[in-house]
Amino acid sequence: MYLGIDIGSSSSKAVILNEDNEIVGISVKNLGTGTKAYKEVITDVMQQANIEDKDIKYTVVTGYGRITFEDADKQITEITCHATGVGYYLDDVRTIVDIGGQDSKVIKLNEKGQVENFVMNEKCAAGTGRFLEVMARVLGCGLDELSNLATKATKQVAISSVCTVFAESEVISRLSAGESIENVARGSHIAIAKRIMGMCNRVGYTPKVVMTGGVALNADMVQVLSTELGCEIEVLPNCQAIGALGAAILARRTYNKLEA
Amino acid sequence: MEYRKIIEKLEEAALHPSKTVTNTIKSTGKSAIGCFPIYTPEEIIYAAGYVPVGMWGGTTTLQLADKYLQSFCCSIMRSNMEYGMKGAYNMLEAVILPTFCDTLKCICENWKVGVPNIPIIPIVYPQNRTLECGYVYMLDEFKRVKVEIERLSGKKIEEKDIEAAFDIYEEYRVTMREFVEIVADYPQIIKTKSRHLIIKAGQFLDKGEYTKDIKAIIDGLKVEEKQTFKGTKIIATGLMSEPVELLEIFDENQIAIVGDDLAQESRQWRTVTRDDEVDVWNKMTSRVADQRGDTFFYEYMKSRGENLIDMVKEKSADGIVVFMMKFCDPEEYDYPIYKKEVEAAGIPMLYLEIDQQITSYEQLRTRIQSFSEMLISREA
Repeated sequence: MYLGIDIGSSSSKAVILNEDNEIVGISVKNLGTGTKAYKEVITDVMQQANIEDKDIKYTVVTGYGRITFEDADKQITEITCHATGVGYYLDDVRTIVDIGGQDSKVIKLNEKGQVENFVMNEKCAAGTGRFLEVMARVLGCGLDELSNLATKATKQVAISSVCTVFAESEVISRLSAGESIENVARGSHIAIAKRIMGMCNRVGYTPKVVMTGGVALNADMVQVLSTELGCEIEVLPNCQAIGALGAAILARRTYNKLEA
Repeated sequence: MEYRKIIEKLEEAALHPSKTVTNTIKSTGKSAIGCFPIYTPEEIIYAAGYVPVGMWGGTTTLQLADKYLQSFCCSIMRSNMEYGMKGAYNMLEAVILPTFCDTLKCICENWKVGVPNIPIIPIVYPQNRTLECGYVYMLDEFKRVKVEIERLSGKKIEEKDIEAAFDIYEEYRVTMREFVEIVADYPQIIKTKSRHLIIKAGQFLDKGEYTKDIKAIIDGLKVEEKQTFKGTKIIATGLMSEPVELLEIFDENQIAIVGDDLAQESRQWRTVTRDDEVDVWNKMTSRVADQRGDTFFYEYMKSRGENLIDMVKEKSADGIVVFMMKFCDPEEYDYPIYKKEVEAAGIPMLYLEIDQQITSYEQLRTRIQSFSEMLISREA
């Protein structure tokens, strides 16, 4: 059995693969690095797979919290892990858009599914899941409600600021001016999509495009980004745990290489 | 001294510039003149009996500099202004400032008001340096700076003094060219952070003494056995590769800098002095006229991309890392031009936006490590 752990900034994920490369445990908790959530997801996947610590042959950790996690055999970046995880489901992906809690990444893949180039957002929270968290708080809704609200939008409201702090003030002004919550929710999705579009242009994106990370669960966000990019974006099963899946695959590969 | 001890000594010197400069002043018995980046004519300062000291900013909390240089200005210049206003440069007799960019031009006036106790001598480099009029202007400008320094010291700088100083600097440049070549063969011994610190130490030491140390390191390396390097090799470009914590991440990921196009490093010495020049002022001027592929010197046929591609091929490097100092306009203007050329050549390139006040390295760590993983997977 091979364990992959992804300790992100706002969520922790774990995946166990068996010898036949099948997923036998998968878990996601919406608490990230600095919390004990990683322990919960590990316990959870072990129970799902019905195994004990000794059954794990190799562990790879990824994500923002990878450096401080000491129990793994190897740490690999989320960029490599997402590229590997996506390859588990599809072999013709050329661009991955991964919007996580703190980072956004656009990863360009070659025909072998290897990372050819990548870009990450700069240090600020513009174009990340954190931006949506702030927007949800200002709009007085849950993060998971944003998508449904946005699909009911009747017009486009431009959130011109890419800075999360300034955008918050802008949204409050919009609401004060009488804009509906639905229209503003859509506006916040468009703001992220434009930011991601800039990153896609920098890296030179080509279809097929898939989206991973927690924000991929927001159907309206995916739709808005698809429109912005001018191509359909696919969302893979277990999109939030693709990094952990990639880590588990790399754990299996590394172990087999060492044993060979 | 054993060459590894010299390495340790130089690393220490680079990590503590203020202490090093104070010691240099004490050990040489000379006063020091600060040199703003880049291409300050150090030979003239040296000939006048001063120690030229590099001013490449540093990690400091910016409290005073904001008055003159806001957050959108070059990070190095903001640090320099802060150090000046806080009194960290009080050991300097004067500073010389080349006005290469808008920020440097502004600093010239800001410095007079913000740091009135340290005189500033500007030097203006011509954009059309390859034309005869630009060449003549440059030569005159060097001589004007000489007169300004003479006025400061109250002593005339003789021609023979300039020639002797030029020879010392020429020996330094030849030695540094050899140093960066040989270091590329020994990445296990001189790692990325160490390479940078050894080079940087030269900014704060007497060049004559420093060159002797570098020669001893070269001699020490020559007797070492060359080992196969299992990491990745890159060419670095930009102004400078700091903060040093960044280079620790390179070392953690076994990334070696096997060649550079950094303003603080190889751009200082890579242009070879013309053999046929006899007059020392012409030697100095022709070195400016002959610079190629440098952000700060106008060049109709931008050759930086071509130079980088050639370096990658020559050194069998795996990729290029761009150290983009916030917010260096000239470097940022160059980037799209050479990016296009480097991409067309199929060479992987990592863009790192840096400043001197970085405190969190996690996102940069992910970028650097991902780049390393990407290069390794390409090789596999």
